[in-house]
Amino acid sequence: MHRTDSLRVHAIVAGLTALMMAAPAISVAASPQTSATAPVKNGASQVRITLTGGREGQSCALDHASAKAGPVTFTVTNKTATAITEIELQSDNRILGEKENLAPGLPPVSFTLTLAGGDYQIYCPGAKHEMLAFKVTGKAAPQASGSTAAILADGTREYAKYVDGVVDAMVTAVGRLKTDIDADNLAQAKVDYPLARPFYERIESDVDGFVLPGHKATDNAGNLDYLIDMRASNLDPKVGWHGFHAIERDLFQNGKITPETKKLAAELQENVDRLDKLAKTLHYRPEDLANGAADLLEEVQTTKVTGEEEAYSHYDLVDFAGNVEGAEQAFAFLEPGLKRIDPALTQRVKQQFAKVDAMLDGYRDPKEPGGFKRYTAEIKAADAARLSRGIQALQEPLSKIAEKVATAGRS
Amino acid sequence: MSKDKSPGDDCGFRLTRRNLLLGAAAGTLGTALAYNPAAAATPSPATVSPENEIVDLSGEHAFYGSAEQAGIMTPQQRYALYMTFDLTSNNRSDLQLLLARWSGAIAQLMKGQTIGQVEPERVGGVGADTGEALNLGPASLTVTVGLGPRVFTDTYGLASKRPPRLRNLKQLPSDALQPELSGGDLSLQACADDPQVTYHAIRDLARIAKDIGAAATRWAVLGFGRASAGKGQVTPRNLLGFRDGTRNIKSADDFNRFVWIKEGPSWQRHGSYQVVRKIQMHIENWDTDRVSDQNDIFGRHKVSGAPLTGHQEFDTPDFHKRDSAGNLVIPPTAHIRLAAHENNGGLKILRRSYNYTDGINRFGLLDAGLLFICYQNDPAHFETLQTRLGASDRLNEYIAHIGSAVFFVPPAPQPGHYIGEQLFT
Repeated sequence: MHRTDSLRVHAIVAGLTALMMAAPAISVAASPQTSATAPVKNGASQVRITLTGGREGQSCALDHASAKAGPVTFTVTNKTATAITEIELQSDNRILGEKENLAPGLPPVSFTLTLAGGDYQIYCPGAKHEMLAFKVTGKAAPQASGSTAAILADGTREYAKYVDGVVDAMVTAVGRLKTDIDADNLAQAKVDYPLARPFYERIESDVDGFVLPGHKATDNAGNLDYLIDMRASNLDPKVGWHGFHAIERDLFQNGKITPETKKLAAELQENVDRLDKLAKTLHYRPEDLANGAADLLEEVQTTKVTGEEEAYSHYDLVDFAGNVEGAEQAFAFLEPGLKRIDPALTQRVKQQFAKVDAMLDGYRDPKEPGGFKRYTAEIKAADAARLSRGIQALQEPLSKIAEKVATAGRS
Repeated sequence: MSKDKSPGDDCGFRLTRRNLLLGAAAGTLGTALAYNPAAAATPSPATVSPENEIVDLSGEHAFYGSAEQAGIMTPQQRYALYMTFDLTSNNRSDLQLLLARWSGAIAQLMKGQTIGQVEPERVGGVGADTGEALNLGPASLTVTVGLGPRVFTDTYGLASKRPPRLRNLKQLPSDALQPELSGGDLSLQACADDPQVTYHAIRDLARIAKDIGAAATRWAVLGFGRASAGKGQVTPRNLLGFRDGTRNIKSADDFNRFVWIKEGPSWQRHGSYQVVRKIQMHIENWDTDRVSDQNDIFGRHKVSGAPLTGHQEFDTPDFHKRDSAGNLVIPPTAHIRLAAHENNGGLKILRRSYNYTDGINRFGLLDAGLLFICYQNDPAHFETLQTRLGASDRLNEYIAHIGSAVFFVPPAPQPGHYIGEQLFT
């Protein structure tokens, strides 16, 4: 059985009056088939979409170009179209429902949407005529408060609260680290360092663009991310080293707290406080959450799997877990809206997060202050490729989310 | 090239305007396209074989067909990227989905077309096709899909469908296999006359595997030069400087006898077994060995490719001939003696190998060798030959088999179907 056979999408389409005012940017081909209204079976109008390929190009055809308002089931069969792998139902370029992973030889797949009267488009990327007109006749549905756009917007507001909470916790944890350093308590500072680390890793993709007043965007001296989290591998000699990793070097490499360490800790506290104020002013679009999650996974690949992030303390797996947690949270706030648009993709991403979480569980160590084993040379040599592949398997499906929620989330 | 072309599908080798122009520019070379063994048999170092130099990047092979997959009998292209994958999902439907998506995508790629939008119309979209092969042409690309032993297990409900001779290879003499360069549940062999076309094909197919959540990359080898000859091709050289594949399978009769699976259900017939070995060469040592010794190791002359008992490349080796001192002219441990069908009960395998390099290794040595790919209707045939070679071949001093894998290569799908589809019915 094909995995998505039994999935059904139910969505109430809202805001039609607003939608119909803007014409779609892409020209819409009239379906060559009969415009007879689709027959109703099991309470839903039945529309067949057939994909074919051949010498003249690939085509996407509807057996009925209109249906009565109410539930409509679209059944998609890819007969021979090698260039078409997905179709979407759109209204004014907003995705209402879709099927991916279509390929010749697979059994037909279907999805059902509850549609109000109005003009819709079937989008078949890769077909000779990519847009087919589809008309729904009858009453427009009443304005629904539970539209996909509204659900996604709720998710972004909740995510903003999550980010605030993480930054608040970081302010407290950095405060503890600073207290240890001010008291010349090296042992306690080495315990509190990994405890202060994961917060920034959870949200860094949301806050890495801040430039302090009076600085140019290209000036690292005013780049808050540089001042908080710059690694030895990316130093700007003109600005020097600041932030977490300069402190890490003092604590774990040099093994002593100097007046310079105290200065670094005070400065870090100051910059984290600044970040706290700025974070409270942030507003997010749904795609910001999706792109942010993708950025956090890029961070895992480029600096955690390589062991570059915590070059002296080797707490890379703490940061790794922080990045993953931040990405998973962003995804969780999108999930209620995303699963209306693309339940199959939602499921794939969820499964891959579960696999990555299970993989990370294998490195937990309650005796370590950060809760994870040190990323030693031995672990890196043996497991880096495995860790990277786990993240790769998550990155590909996750990268598809942004455009879905961006187009569905507009209201 | 697949012999069976589906009607109505614009595939097969085509002469295009570009191709004709190329032929015209080549002047008299164009008339020399027919293979002339007599001319090739007496090469001088300055000779450049015309048919070896004309590369037609508009060349195109059919993906769909009613017999074997392309990339086995297809005239061997100049470059290859070979990659294996581990299945990461235990769902039968994910495996089906992967084979179906790969099949559709390979059909596009072999026509020189993208597998989706490179620059998505929609803001925020990632490309379905990564774009680095845009406008490069089909370049005679073939992508051949192999199914490893773990596919045919209860995990995927396919234990009862296991091709009868598919199994992991037994341990063979001189095996120095590294786990990270061996095995895999699926294989993709991409061959083309432009290396970037092969790279793009595998890269984008790997993305599909990850997107579906069905498979992860395992190991890969980039072949930068053809190292086996097919029918009508001049015999190329491996990195040891010797011609490789002089006595390769070329006739349709031999393909039927040694390469294609002829029995069993239709999803097996026209299939084959692919054995892959990553063979590292100790280049620096080889280069400082006297050439007379190199000739003895192979049993052939380096430049002409003639057996030590003959004068021309295609002279049949005389394995009984002795010199005046009574020693065998082709030594008992010479590579061609141990590999010859005359000395192995008539056994032949189809070789389709490529030279590879991985740069410089951690000891400061050139890291290079042969990506040995062979096809046969029973992997035991490879085992028989490699058992003798691994035990006695003097070449073993200069090579090491460091990677190995075996796959069943199902026949090509018909249009509207995907590779291996019949396994799931």
